[in-house]
Amino acid sequence: MKNNRFKLILIAVVALVSVWSIWPTYRDYALTQKLKSIRSAEDSLKFAIDNREAIEQAKDKSLKLGLDLRGGMHLVMEVDILDLVEQKAWNKDATFTRVMESVKKESAAESNANIVELVAAGFKKENIKLSRYFYDMRDSDQEIVSKLNGEAKDALARAKEIIRNRIDQYGVAEPVIQTQGSQRLVIELSGVTDEARVRRLLMGTAKLEFKLVKDPETLLRAIQRVSGAPLVAPAAPAAPAVTAPADSSMAAAPVAAALQPAAAGVKKLSDVIGMMPNGQVFTPEYARDQVTAVLNRPDVLALLPQDTQLLLAAKPELTAKGEKYFPIYLVQKTPELTGGVITEAKATFSAQDNQPEASMSMNDEGTSKWARITGANIGKQIAIVLDGAVYSAPVVQSRIPSGNSVINGIGSLEEAKDLEIILKAGALPAPVRILEERTVGPSLGADYIRAGLFSLVWGFTAVAIFMIVYYNKAGIAADLALVLNILVVISVLAGFSAALTLPGIAGIVLTMGMAVDANVLIYERVREELGEGKSLRMAIDAGYNRAFSSILDSHVTTLAAAFLLYVYGVGPIQGFAVTLMIGTAASLFTAIVVTRVLFDLLLGSKFMNEKSFG
Amino acid sequence: MRIFQKTNFNFIKHRKIAYAISSILLVAGLVSLFIRGLNYGIDFKGGSEVVIRFEKPVDVGAVRSIMEQAGVNGSVKQYGLDRSFLLKTDFQGDTSKLKALISNSLASRLPDNASQILSVQAVGPSIASDMKMSALKALAAALVGILLYVSVRFEFKFATAGVVAIFHDVLTVLGLFSLLGGLFDFMPLEVDQSIIAAFLTIAGYSITDTVVVYDRIRERLRGQKPSDYERIFNESMNQTLSRTIITSGTTMLSVIVLFIFAGPAIRSFAFAMFAGILVGTYSSIFVAAPIVFDWQTRSKSPIKFRGA
Repeated sequence: MKNNRFKLILIAVVALVSVWSIWPTYRDYALTQKLKSIRSAEDSLKFAIDNREAIEQAKDKSLKLGLDLRGGMHLVMEVDILDLVEQKAWNKDATFTRVMESVKKESAAESNANIVELVAAGFKKENIKLSRYFYDMRDSDQEIVSKLNGEAKDALARAKEIIRNRIDQYGVAEPVIQTQGSQRLVIELSGVTDEARVRRLLMGTAKLEFKLVKDPETLLRAIQRVSGAPLVAPAAPAAPAVTAPADSSMAAAPVAAALQPAAAGVKKLSDVIGMMPNGQVFTPEYARDQVTAVLNRPDVLALLPQDTQLLLAAKPELTAKGEKYFPIYLVQKTPELTGGVITEAKATFSAQDNQPEASMSMNDEGTSKWARITGANIGKQIAIVLDGAVYSAPVVQSRIPSGNSVINGIGSLEEAKDLEIILKAGALPAPVRILEERTVGPSLGADYIRAGLFSLVWGFTAVAIFMIVYYNKAGIAADLALVLNILVVISVLAGFSAALTLPGIAGIVLTMGMAVDANVLIYERVREELGEGKSLRMAIDAGYNRAFSSILDSHVTTLAAAFLLYVYGVGPIQGFAVTLMIGTAASLFTAIVVTRVLFDLLLGSKFMNEKSFG
Repeated sequence: MRIFQKTNFNFIKHRKIAYAISSILLVAGLVSLFIRGLNYGIDFKGGSEVVIRFEKPVDVGAVRSIMEQAGVNGSVKQYGLDRSFLLKTDFQGDTSKLKALISNSLASRLPDNASQILSVQAVGPSIASDMKMSALKALAAALVGILLYVSVRFEFKFATAGVVAIFHDVLTVLGLFSLLGGLFDFMPLEVDQSIIAAFLTIAGYSITDTVVVYDRIRERLRGQKPSDYERIFNESMNQTLSRTIITSGTTMLSVIVLFIFAGPAIRSFAFAMFAGILVGTYSSIFVAAPIVFDWQTRSKSPIKFRGA
């Protein structure tokens, strides 16, 4: 019986710890309900303030719900290491571009490959030493590869840091940002459903550049040279609907339908750009994406004067008739100054027309450079370019010694705020792409919770009733074990702040069906032993001892399968795996220890007899 | 209550019939896999899925034609039993553009029936192929792990037969998915991550079931003459039959509950589990143990007992 006392204490401890771990979840629920039941806003505010500590504590320790149940966004982003490698290269020539193009194709086909290795292999195939384009001439290929790998690793870490910064400033509770592999970030934002805004916030490379605007005559000549360029890239397939470059081609598919009539026949750039009497070049809104794409094409860039590029304005202007059009600027490709010098940014309203804008201040180095640049270019326009779009191109009136500058032409204050966040957090080391996105609205989440609870209740009821009907009093013991089992699963989830997902609930329901397996094994064995004429006590002993080996084997194999699911699974599936693992482990404990102790206790009383096993 | 008092089925004698049934199931499944293939979900294929809910009932055809006119090519299906629809498209770009396109066209064409986008999922092709790879890895690792564990606890023959049974179960369910995929609107039977989870659970369940039968065989076989093997195999299977059926029963009970109550997102998973438990229970009696028996009688080397 001494043995039993130890087991009893163990069971009591497990039960208490479980209840203690689930308690905050209940508290949280109760407090939320109470808060909801209070009618007037004042009273509810008062209640919230009075019980602030209790509410926060309960919330902090309560069972976390996964994104699918709570609503929110799950994103997988990829940092463009290839772009980073390109940035690091100098001496770029046609051969370089060609090799990089083929590497791009390879990397698209083999998404898990190390990009740097692919680049190295690409140049090796052509018998070109990497040192021709990267770092020092004396470096060996191997040294360069390891340096580039270091840069790539660093870029991922920095991108993670910057994105965390931006999200923190945006204000999301408990964001999860993890690196996955060598170039991916997994981001989970609970409660966020405005994916357009989040997308802008996360993807904005925030590459801020100050570029000199060329004079109108040069612009005119440049436009004349490129206007003959076809809208459809010469090498592209004939289908006109999908001719935009790689990253926007997929997005363009449905949108392009609207452009279909215009795309019939071979269209030239001159068909979609126009010129105003004052010399301003523009494109109408509908052709914006197309023109942007054409202006970035290598064959068009080659037609422009050395070290210049054509950029579109970020925001449209309105004609007298209210039509939207985007001005086009010819700017110096090499920036006078880049955003790295920005120390502070602030979203405000402009003094003259009360439009939202973002004001920035610079560090000492930037201030002195800005003073020199503005001093040398009085009377000329300087374009403020953010992520390749011209936000404003003010004419320099005088030398600016303070290092202050302003981005105006922003549509809304919300956008100005986002810009402030992005500028403050700094530029991403390389562009990022969204590879996977899952957004669940809060109402769907609520539906899922309801469905999940229904399944839990009905699953439990069905199994519990069956066990009592089939095994009589022994079934009650199995049901008690089942209750403890579920309690342990939920408490472990809450205790380790693992999130409960819809697949997780499915895992719990499934575990309920399988958890009674150990009891079934034992009970069937006890029945057999009873059938052979053994006494109840001996039959129970034999049942437990002989079933043990099967129970162990079956639990270990299920655990192994669940563990592998956890290792290789992604997102919600891991939730399923976790609950399955905890449930299986708990069932090992409840079946072997808990029901055994129950029987030992009951055997002493008159409650159990030979008929108790049904 | 007791369903199976003392059964006395001669499983071993009729094993050839079971082999034939299994072969037919497997061949039919494989042929379907070869011809029809699988109905992959966006996890493994890439693409976008949007769930839209309307305030008032609306005909699926109307939604479909609105989407077609908006230039969103894909399929529109009833989602769940309420006024929700699942739109699937190849779209893989900026989901906010897709969202705007959908809600604008719905708002202009159905002005007096407000709609709401409940969820958006978009998976790029590179992620999709990665997920497929890691799913295959998980399945392969699970099979190797189970093979190793059962080899250590029993004997290689038992382990191999057990893994054959797992293959049998997973392939049969996969074949069912291929045959029935896309036939039912309430249960699309798409192969996605949750189905991989189901397969791994089926593998675990199948070997669990098998191991229990093995365990009894091993217990009874100790110290017996090979000429008695057929009788002992049969008796062991009959003795564990009650447990096998009861456990499958309770597990199926909970899976049925999932199928009915847990909503459309879980339905394919629940179906896979249901089929898997059914086939897994069958295979532990009619496939795994008979293979061990056949192998044993042919190999002539006695069974080496390990473990408890």
